[in-house]
Amino acid sequence: MANLIQNEMMKLLARKRIQVVGIIVAVLVLLFTYAQYKQVEEQREKLGTTDWRASLQQQIIDIQNRLGSSRMSDDWREQLQVSLKQQQYYLDHNINPTEPGAPSFVRMFVENSSDLFIPLLVMIIASDLVSSEHSLGSIKLLLTRPVKRWRILLSKYITLLLAISAIIAMVGVLAYLLSGIVFGYKGLNTPVITGFTVEGGNLDTSQVRLLAQWKFLLMDFGLVWFVAVVVGTLAFMLSVLIRSTAAGMGVTLAALISGAILSNMVSSWESAKYLFMVNLKLTNYLNGVAPPIEGMTLLSSMTVLFVWWAAALVVSFVVFTKQDVY
Amino acid sequence: MIILRRNTVKIVTILSVILGVLWLSGFGWAIQDYYSGNSMGGIESKAAKPMQKKDKQELTIVALGDSLTRGTGDETGKGYVGLVTDDIKKRFKNRVTLHNLGINGQTSTELQKQVKQNEVQRQLASADTILITIGGNDLFQGGQTLMDFDPNSIGKIQAEFINNLTSILTDIRKANRNATIFYLGLYNPFIELENGSDTSKVVREWNDQSERVSAAFPKTVFVPTFDIFQLSVNDYLYTDNFHPNKQGYQLIAERVAPLIKWEEKQQ
Repeated sequence: MANLIQNEMMKLLARKRIQVVGIIVAVLVLLFTYAQYKQVEEQREKLGTTDWRASLQQQIIDIQNRLGSSRMSDDWREQLQVSLKQQQYYLDHNINPTEPGAPSFVRMFVENSSDLFIPLLVMIIASDLVSSEHSLGSIKLLLTRPVKRWRILLSKYITLLLAISAIIAMVGVLAYLLSGIVFGYKGLNTPVITGFTVEGGNLDTSQVRLLAQWKFLLMDFGLVWFVAVVVGTLAFMLSVLIRSTAAGMGVTLAALISGAILSNMVSSWESAKYLFMVNLKLTNYLNGVAPPIEGMTLLSSMTVLFVWWAAALVVSFVVFTKQDVY
Repeated sequence: MIILRRNTVKIVTILSVILGVLWLSGFGWAIQDYYSGNSMGGIESKAAKPMQKKDKQELTIVALGDSLTRGTGDETGKGYVGLVTDDIKKRFKNRVTLHNLGINGQTSTELQKQVKQNEVQRQLASADTILITIGGNDLFQGGQTLMDFDPNSIGKIQAEFINNLTSILTDIRKANRNATIFYLGLYNPFIELENGSDTSKVVREWNDQSERVSAAFPKTVFVPTFDIFQLSVNDYLYTDNFHPNKQGYQLIAERVAPLIKWEEKQQ
């Protein structure tokens, strides 16, 4: 088995997929770092002060003013109210929600890329793990070896898991190193507030506690990793089912993008919560952001994702072992 | 070459395995912490350090209140607060920091709560000049009060407002003893409607009482605005017939700005 995995890993590295992913991440991190830097700069200019409390206070006042306008959907109003209360809580407890520094940037970056960007990166690897063997014709060589088919597929799947782990780490390391050039590397130990819960549009602060930022980051990465594994497994299944890599990628891409759009408009379509695409933002639960559909919790989202994952895995193995190869 | 490659592959594989275990444990920890994380029974709040000024010559203005402070109706978005700040920048040529905490539709009850917040108190403490507009939403309630025109209920609203105003000014003075407070009176946006003289009477009475309250506090200046809008109210009101327009704000600013004196910085 170890040899099979080594073999798959070698193919992966030789195809330079991971390297391409690394370059994409680096470019995006640089872009976001610059954007963030500009934003900080502009705010400083506008307020004439570097005091984060003053700028947070100003954000709170701005939200309060926006809430005063009558033309606003109820969902949006509820979301604003929750974030208003959260910011007020940070301010009242004298904790900076956006402590400048690379760790805060990493957190922001990972949380914002968990539902689209990282799944896309994973898709690049997962989509052609099996289908490329078909298109290259090497699948026959592989299957004529005296190894059971399920073992071959398992080695491919484990390689996928390893690649996902490496990609997540790459995102973290690159984001930390590159943004640190601008923001500095400090802030791994600054306290972060966690434990906000949102119920019926109300923010519950009774479970609130402080956590060092690096712990919070590890949790964030764990959740993002899980999401990436689920999306990766789905793309892997499509790679088994559809022999054309491009078609498999297209389907995954459509699903991911529709998820990103749906999350903004599904609040009245309750059964949409069983779709995997709207459950990808697990990190929002740690931050106390209201879920896209009322009643969704971390556990329910994870269960939905788990069911999709298990189904995709079963389908992949059953189809691969029974499939005719020609 | 091939041997080197094989080693690289091995290293990458092993590293990935370690990372995978790390992320898996992070995942497990996140669930465990989310569902059974022990709350410390809320977190204690630490008091913030007082604000630091870049240089001693810096002037800090804190503006509190309702939509007039916000500048609603002025298409440039400045409002009288922005215009006053511009004027001070021009006259004194030094750094001016403005904290505009005005909220559209804010009533005196809400402002009374706002000035009790830690951060607001901290900003007030650093202020040299404090500008306030409040009461319009208490009295007019979007025009409802004066349409119904029930002297009894107006009396009740007024008594409550006076209470709130006293509490607001007390809190501000507690936070900052030296800053000059400029408290702007109300004007009557309904002066040209049928019962204009009745409503004006109510607004005058309101202003009269508020001025008396403010007189009890040191370094507190009541700035009337009633007369500005008395004769040609429609020229100075925005299309909503309630908020001042650009010209209206300009006139208010021209009244307030000269009152802000440089000398107070020397103390």
